[in-house]
Amino acid sequence: MATMTYLQAISSALRDEMRADESVMVMGEDIGVFGGAFKVTDGMIEEFGPDRVMDTPLAESAIIGCAVGAAVVGLRPVCEMQFSDFISCGFDQLVNVAGKMHYRQGLAVPITVRLPSGGGFSGGPFHSQNPEALFMHSPGIKVVAPSTAEDAKGLLHAAMHDPNPVCFMEHKHLYRRVKGDVREGVYETPFTARIARPGSDLVVICYGAMVDVALQATEDLDGASIEVLDLRSLVPLDEDAILGSVARCSKVVIVDEANMTCAAGAQVAALIAEKGFEDLDGPVTRVATPDVPIPFSPPLEQAVLPGVDRVKEACRELLAY
Amino acid sequence: MSSSHTETTTATLVDITMPQMGVSVAEGTIVAWRVEVGDRVEADQTLCDISTDKIETEVPSPTAGIIAEILVEVEQTVEVGVVLARLAVGDGAVVPASAPAPVVDSAPAANAPPAATGAPADAPAPTAPPSTAVARGNGNGRRYSPVVQRIAAEHNVDLSTVTGTGRGGRVRKQDVLALVGGGALVDPPLHIESPYRPDPPAPAAAPVPAAASAPAAAAPPVPVSGDGLSRMRRQIGEHMKRSLEVAATCTTWAEADMTRVEKARGTLGVTALAYVARATVEALREYPALNAWLDGEQYTRHADVNLGIAVSLGDDGLIVPVIHRAQELSVEGLAARIRELAGKARNRQLTNDDVSGGTFTITAPGQFGSIMATPVINQPQVGILDFEAVVKRPVVISDEDGSDSIAIRSMTILGLSWDHRALDGALSAQFLSAIRARLESVGS
Amino acid sequence: MAMADTAPTAGTAQADAPKVKASDGVTGADAAHLTQEDRTALLRAMLQMRGIEERAMSLYRQGKVPGSFYDGYGQEAVSAGAAFAMAAEDRLCILHRDLAAHLIRGVTPTRIFSQYMGRAAGITHGRDGNVHFGDKDLGCVGMVSMLPDMMLVATGMAMAFKIRGEARCALTWFGDGSTSRGDFHEAMNWAGVQKLPVVFVLENNQYAYSTPLDKQFAVDPVRRAEAYGFEGVSVDGNDAEAMFEATRVARERAIAGDGPTLIEAVTMRMHGHAAHDDMKYVPAEQVQEWKQRDPIERQEKRLAELGVDVEALRAEVAAELDTAVTEALAGPMPTPDNVLDGLFCEGEAEPLGDGHAPWSGFAQGGGR
Repeated sequence: MATMTYLQAISSALRDEMRADESVMVMGEDIGVFGGAFKVTDGMIEEFGPDRVMDTPLAESAIIGCAVGAAVVGLRPVCEMQFSDFISCGFDQLVNVAGKMHYRQGLAVPITVRLPSGGGFSGGPFHSQNPEALFMHSPGIKVVAPSTAEDAKGLLHAAMHDPNPVCFMEHKHLYRRVKGDVREGVYETPFTARIARPGSDLVVICYGAMVDVALQATEDLDGASIEVLDLRSLVPLDEDAILGSVARCSKVVIVDEANMTCAAGAQVAALIAEKGFEDLDGPVTRVATPDVPIPFSPPLEQAVLPGVDRVKEACRELLAY
Repeated sequence: MSSSHTETTTATLVDITMPQMGVSVAEGTIVAWRVEVGDRVEADQTLCDISTDKIETEVPSPTAGIIAEILVEVEQTVEVGVVLARLAVGDGAVVPASAPAPVVDSAPAANAPPAATGAPADAPAPTAPPSTAVARGNGNGRRYSPVVQRIAAEHNVDLSTVTGTGRGGRVRKQDVLALVGGGALVDPPLHIESPYRPDPPAPAAAPVPAAASAPAAAAPPVPVSGDGLSRMRRQIGEHMKRSLEVAATCTTWAEADMTRVEKARGTLGVTALAYVARATVEALREYPALNAWLDGEQYTRHADVNLGIAVSLGDDGLIVPVIHRAQELSVEGLAARIRELAGKARNRQLTNDDVSGGTFTITAPGQFGSIMATPVINQPQVGILDFEAVVKRPVVISDEDGSDSIAIRSMTILGLSWDHRALDGALSAQFLSAIRARLESVGS
Repeated sequence: MAMADTAPTAGTAQADAPKVKASDGVTGADAAHLTQEDRTALLRAMLQMRGIEERAMSLYRQGKVPGSFYDGYGQEAVSAGAAFAMAAEDRLCILHRDLAAHLIRGVTPTRIFSQYMGRAAGITHGRDGNVHFGDKDLGCVGMVSMLPDMMLVATGMAMAFKIRGEARCALTWFGDGSTSRGDFHEAMNWAGVQKLPVVFVLENNQYAYSTPLDKQFAVDPVRRAEAYGFEGVSVDGNDAEAMFEATRVARERAIAGDGPTLIEAVTMRMHGHAAHDDMKYVPAEQVQEWKQRDPIERQEKRLAELGVDVEALRAEVAAELDTAVTEALAGPMPTPDNVLDGLFCEGEAEPLGDGHAPWSGFAQGGGR
């Protein structure tokens, strides 16, 4: 066990995999000599050389496309999008080439795409997005989103071992804010949900940075027993865990940092409506970012991103229902 | 509901009798009396709860009056037509001296208009369905969430009596759970339940890890007992045994390829049972010999197909609500009716009409995975169709050119139990084939 | 040799002068590395391609082929010649007018007919249509419709070869319209920056659907190669042997570590974009002119002069394809029972396998 930040846990997973498996390489903009915009790959080029810690041209479509090519001839590339927002430039290669490959012709595409995502630090409209739902809607791509240091490492190991394209949503706001005990060496965290805190009166379903928000908001909420379910994986979505929490608690608040419409939480809400109806004791309640780009100025940004107070208020409302 | 009038010197006495709840029902049991002798009652006010093997229901008062006599006690089973109580109506109706003052604010009738004590002796029995007033409870417009309704149904909780602690007095899950868990409930009338309750669990000091925790709603386990069958179970048993005694029951099976149904039902968003029901209705119209009753020597064919659908009520037993004039309904219409009736059955809301007049029955336990069964005919009908699980199996199929190949198809086994007194094997086989042919050509 | 030639116009594509690249016809100047058997194999692949596509078009009109149907009539030399220069361990991303490449790499005609008809025995088992396929066991990544996405996949494969120090190369085809999209630039640039062992074959068939060259680019794309730091050559795309030779040289260069090559194969799409397209937007004279340069007739003439019985070869191919059609028609349609399966790989990721490499040069070690 070692205490690591979320960011160190991600670096540790990359380093462990590269030491263990020669076919693993990381590629992206400014990740080599500079060590990456967030220093996730800092120092790796010295250990593994410029071929395996590759500074690429500024070309997101090419980063994904070349990773696909390298993967189908035996490499295990891990792509870094400098910001998850930039994946829009690589969308076609990810969705049409990588995502559909195995279904169409049985050819596995083992690539991991790291997507530093989320807001909360005045990144503005192009450095704060949470684009995960785009890929939930695109068949053939797995999507995971850790909220703790331990899961960040374990899920990244599992993503790199997975024979499919995996979008690894790493939340920028958690990089240095979240710390925890992390196991040494290679271990896999399964693509299933985790009960961050058990409870029985109400469940908050969330993932990524919203897990911490939910835990804070419900730590002492008028004595109510509140469960927090950390989805961890969005594709596959852990239906059993979600429905289990709903059966226990019967009241559900779903928190997304992403824009409300068709966010991951919308899918969770639909699932509950369809399969958990008989267990509900109140309307399924959602807290999410309204459907606007993330504004830059702090008071504006704070006004749209779900925070502790909004989650508290939603929980109180529903508890009283 | 039947009642007869007797002239007396002081008032008219109206007989309240055990109603005929379905064609085959011979008897019923008093579950509870809601009134006492001397009580002043309104028209439609519930007098007692009764139970038969078909249905659990309430007996409403045919008119306003005063309870003069109660003749059958709780738990007593009497034949249809037996007088249960007598009601004094008219000017001469008086409260017996020993009786308590009339109750006007009893829960089910709290909102009823003031007692119409002056109702004429020969006032006609109201025709409005008696269940309406009851189903709406105290009429305060309360609505209940799915989980509250489910728990209430499972534990026979009358939600109108539950105090809500939610917003605006809404009944929350916790409210109904407190009632169920706290033993404040009256014993469910349909169960023979031991009064035994396990010791309450030691109060948990810390939240239990989710993986290990049982749902909070779980009722204490009911010990298995060998000495008690519910009333409904007993009556189903007698009924089934009687059927096997009187009918010459034979069972014929046929295998049907449900692949087209499976495909089509996804498009319509209905269950396979709805397709089977539709195919059965059409086949019954083609072979009316099976859409019939045989009661002793009396054999009657019916023009309308009143299709019974067996609905499991879990441990309580099963009930067969009837889709009347099923020949007029499409697959979607049948699906909607099946859903509606099954819901009413599970919530114990079936009316007498809902369970009477069936001319043929389908039972469909296949959801639990069974593939074949020999159903028992629902007397006095002459046939019952058993629809089991649809399973994918390799089968040999022939194309137009006559070449054979093995394909994966969704198959089911249809079982028809039929009464050899009323028809013969050839006809039942043709009937079954007609159902199969319809199922296999769905969507073509 | 054709590849020494330069583009016919000096920098700008001219609207009134569709690009024509005429090699010296039938002399066989590019055959130095080809045996008579190799040259016959090239003809055979082109005959197969044309025969398959003619039969498929007929099946299409008979209602046996769902969806749309695309062919490469008149362009057979582009894929036959280029694919013939590729080694077994090389990897290809084959485009929709390049059927001969699949045939050379070892995909059987029966599977191709089954693929067209959406049957279970097709390469994608009915999951993708017409020419959207690649046999992973034969070293091909199937194309997607967003062109030229596969340029990046080919670049990535070449990147892996280079990182691992393997003497292999990747090749992909794309059309004149593809040069307008960003992925063309990203792939050309990346391959140039990293000097990757990749061969880009620009199949210039004069029209992107209905759009002519002058609406596609202002600078002849073969000249762009230089701007990305590698060589671009223009080849008569209707000469299978010229295509072979240009690709062979490009591959040698790639494997020697000298980086990518852009080969512009100048040809003409002789049919509409797809079966429904009557190609009214193409001047009749243009089609007539290109008919004179038919790649199959040219190769037949060469071989006839060498004493090869071309008629017998034609008959043999026709018989083979008739049998393949019959076989494919006898095959079942896929059952929908597993239509949801295989979205994700559940086991180990298996990389692409090796394709066939019939060129005699590989047998003699000439491929290295």
